Amino acid sequence: MDGLKDYEKVMSSCVRCSNCKFIPALQVKSQRFSTVCPAIERYNFHAYSGGGKMIIALSLLKGRVRYSDELVKVIYRCTLCGGCDVSCKYFFDLEPLEVISELRVHCVESGAGPMPQHRRWIASIEQNHNPYGEPHEERFSWMPRGVNPRDSSETVYFAGCTPSYRRDEIARATVKILDAVGFDYMVLGEDEYCCGSPMFRVGARKQALKLMQRNVETLKKAGVKRIVTSCAGCYSMFKVEYPRYLNTDFEVLHVSELLDAMVRSGELEFSKDVPLRVTYHDPCHLGRNSEPYIPWEGELVKVASLVYIPVPPKPVRQGAKGVYEPPRNVLRSIPRLELVEMERVREYAYCCGAGGGVKSAFPDFALWTAGRRIEEAKATGAEALVSCCPFCATNFKDALKERGEKMGYYDLTELVLKAMGGAV
Amino acid sequence: MLSREVYKALENVVGPENITDEPGILDTYAYQWGVEVERAARGEEPSRFGCRPEAVVLPSCTSEVQAIVKICNEHGLRFKAHSTGFGAWGAVSGPRTILLDLRRMNRIVKIDEKNMYAVIEPYVTNAQLQAELIKRGLTHHLHGAGPQTSPLASHTSMCGPGFTSVSTGFSGRNLLAVEWVLPTGDVLRLGSLNFGEEWFSGDGPGPSLRGVMRGFMGALGGLGVFTKCAVKLYPWPGPREWKVGGVAPNYEFEIPPYWRMYVINYPDWDGLEEAYYRIGEAEVATIAMSTSPEGVATIFSATRDEAISRVLEYAGKIQKVIVVLVTAHTEREFNYRVKVMREIIRETGGMDLIEEGVVKVRSASYAEGVRNMWGSAAFRFTSCFQSTHGGMDTTAMALRIAEVNRPIKLKYIEKELIGDDRGEGIWTTSFEHGHFQHLEVPTVYDPTDPESCKGFADYLKECNEADVQHSLGTPFFIIGDELHDWFGSYCNNYQVWLRRIKRAFDPNDTSDPGHYVSSKGGGRDVAL
Repeated sequence: MDGLKDYEKVMSSCVRCSNCKFIPALQVKSQRFSTVCPAIERYNFHAYSGGGKMIIALSLLKGRVRYSDELVKVIYRCTLCGGCDVSCKYFFDLEPLEVISELRVHCVESGAGPMPQHRRWIASIEQNHNPYGEPHEERFSWMPRGVNPRDSSETVYFAGCTPSYRRDEIARATVKILDAVGFDYMVLGEDEYCCGSPMFRVGARKQALKLMQRNVETLKKAGVKRIVTSCAGCYSMFKVEYPRYLNTDFEVLHVSELLDAMVRSGELEFSKDVPLRVTYHDPCHLGRNSEPYIPWEGELVKVASLVYIPVPPKPVRQGAKGVYEPPRNVLRSIPRLELVEMERVREYAYCCGAGGGVKSAFPDFALWTAGRRIEEAKATGAEALVSCCPFCATNFKDALKERGEKMGYYDLTELVLKAMGGAV
Repeated sequence: MLSREVYKALENVVGPENITDEPGILDTYAYQWGVEVERAARGEEPSRFGCRPEAVVLPSCTSEVQAIVKICNEHGLRFKAHSTGFGAWGAVSGPRTILLDLRRMNRIVKIDEKNMYAVIEPYVTNAQLQAELIKRGLTHHLHGAGPQTSPLASHTSMCGPGFTSVSTGFSGRNLLAVEWVLPTGDVLRLGSLNFGEEWFSGDGPGPSLRGVMRGFMGALGGLGVFTKCAVKLYPWPGPREWKVGGVAPNYEFEIPPYWRMYVINYPDWDGLEEAYYRIGEAEVATIAMSTSPEGVATIFSATRDEAISRVLEYAGKIQKVIVVLVTAHTEREFNYRVKVMREIIRETGGMDLIEEGVVKVRSASYAEGVRNMWGSAAFRFTSCFQSTHGGMDTTAMALRIAEVNRPIKLKYIEKELIGDDRGEGIWTTSFEHGHFQHLEVPTVYDPTDPESCKGFADYLKECNEADVQHSLGTPFFIIGDELHDWFGSYCNNYQVWLRRIKRAFDPNDTSDPGHYVSSKGGGRDVAL
């Protein structure tokens, strides 16, 4: 692996077509909701687009430019949502998201990045095992009384830092549901550390890998074979990055997948009406970015002049294998709940604005993006926005409050618990 | 480097958030597809990084564009404006040039359903405009560059053939009134707009200025900035809701009831030529275009792997084809059109490969066709191609380009400098009732291989020379002083008049002349 150099041909092949700024053209149903990249939409210079960042990376690699404060901001004013990647791959064999991630690693290893707020997060993870500067011993203080996970199980509920310290309603609802259906699971307690996502996403890959390795050892020592999360960020890490970098083979489930399976098997039944018109927001890390990374180890076989065929066929990671239907299936199964869809959904959903370190380093930009998504949600006539990610939850709740919106926000688990007759 | 005084003056116009001279950000404007070929043609090292603008500004309205242009005039700077900026002509061509990125000018100003025109700003894209028009039962001419590009840019500044040209013409035929910031900073309102707030006509009483502002091929941003324009609209032959489902790459389109696709095969050009005339004259088609078997494979595929398997499948089964989409508003109209098509296919000796089961068409391909996405499918095999030739004249002439081109192309294929399509790779689309035709030759090259870039540049030059030698119309890429001087010498020295226009409107060449002509001549040689 040679960092950005590995992507030189990819970066040099961008034709600057601007497809990365919009949802796949075939899905454009209105001008208002035709864009996919919050960064270019907010800051406008081409540098902010997926293609623009590939050009910046190429320019840095070729020594044409150096990092400046402004350039570092361009690199980090990006939620790593991967919308550019899906649109680009409609016709092109390029990897904008991979390049942007590698660019951040380059930025960190050059000493220019990440942003000061990210450095504080990283320091806190190393000290407290969570990015929020919270005491590690209070990690599971949210655990409701009367809920008793097993002491040992092959399945672990990995709560994650954000549900544990900032969105404990999600963690509580999750374990109450699991408890109510008699699900066999354990939690790691004080052995649970951050999954590594906040380090990994901002380009501190070496530090992240060290932490990830520690987590793998802990999970293996506990006899874990299956990881359940209610955090889209943790899910994407365990589903995509752990196997990619550490060759792990845990079964990884988002709670929405588990609940969907339980509804379909009859293990989970709803006794209460939830008369609510809701729209579902696909979290980037549960949707397009949760598609597993399949390494390709083939060769390009020349069949004619400049015509090469990848043998075996090279898998295209285009977001198709994200988790899209399980949360929708669960919502549809809740009595008297009506699900209405936004224009931008599934692999071309618009980001909430919180990811990639944006919420901490550029909170105004994060709220601006959430506001755009809330406008889209309101256009459906929904009374509430539902999602499956604690980061999306925080950012949407902050934006709804700031804007004085009446629209509600629920995590999927909260609605499921309501339909079961329980309360968070 | 821009003086602080000038930077401050520009910043006062657009605000601090909307101007930059940060080198890394500027490089994302210096980099353009096709610059590597221009550089190779000049004997320089091929690279997509060309000239870096002194600064990039993001104006939000016409008055800001005017103010920027005036500052450039006052301080001896050049300017170049682009909308989405796709292609070498979107970049600045020399030093001391300010780039105006018109991204913030993205409003659909007006959709006049009754008089069937829409008024748009530069950064409205084809997909956006069409999406809004479909809700009103209308559509517009979408040019071949793709759904993510600007119809204003094409209508005002390029030639703009598209996949629906048989029913919507090309961009130059669809332009109505225009708001034009001249290279001096003055605003000129063309056509009916000069007499009120109506945009229905591009020409007012007196001589038309449309020929001056864009002529046949457009000035590619070398003659000021077009800040608004009106484009013609057409009836949309489908429901007012655009229904596409599924997950990428397997999208599914709900094909409207009165739509039918044909892939009509002919053993040679003669039958195909006759079919173009007949289909055009009968006015039954929404799309009528031709491509190679590889082209058919990629436009009807969802992925590269599928396209590759189709190429192998089509071997020997496809010779010369017309891809036709028939649409209608009523069952009666549809039945009539299908009947006409049946007769044309029979009388011209064609064979519908869809009916024969040779070509299978995904539902999404219908939508991709009318949304003008098929051109981008040419990137599917290698992520890079560029076209040569590009004549827009009679159908007979266009098809002759294909014949003349083949041996030239094969020569470069044999040297392994360009992609091997057996010399068959073409894209042609008819307009003016089938009697006129645009034909270009999409060609794969490797932008990261200097030899391939140079090879493509040499091939392009040879294609231009063949166009002159065989009288094959005006190629796409006669751009810049030297090529206009060369090509004009065979065409009544039209470049003299072009230069007089440039001189009258822009005596100091303030509007970047690199991809047009300079007022005095002798500017930079630009091959693309």
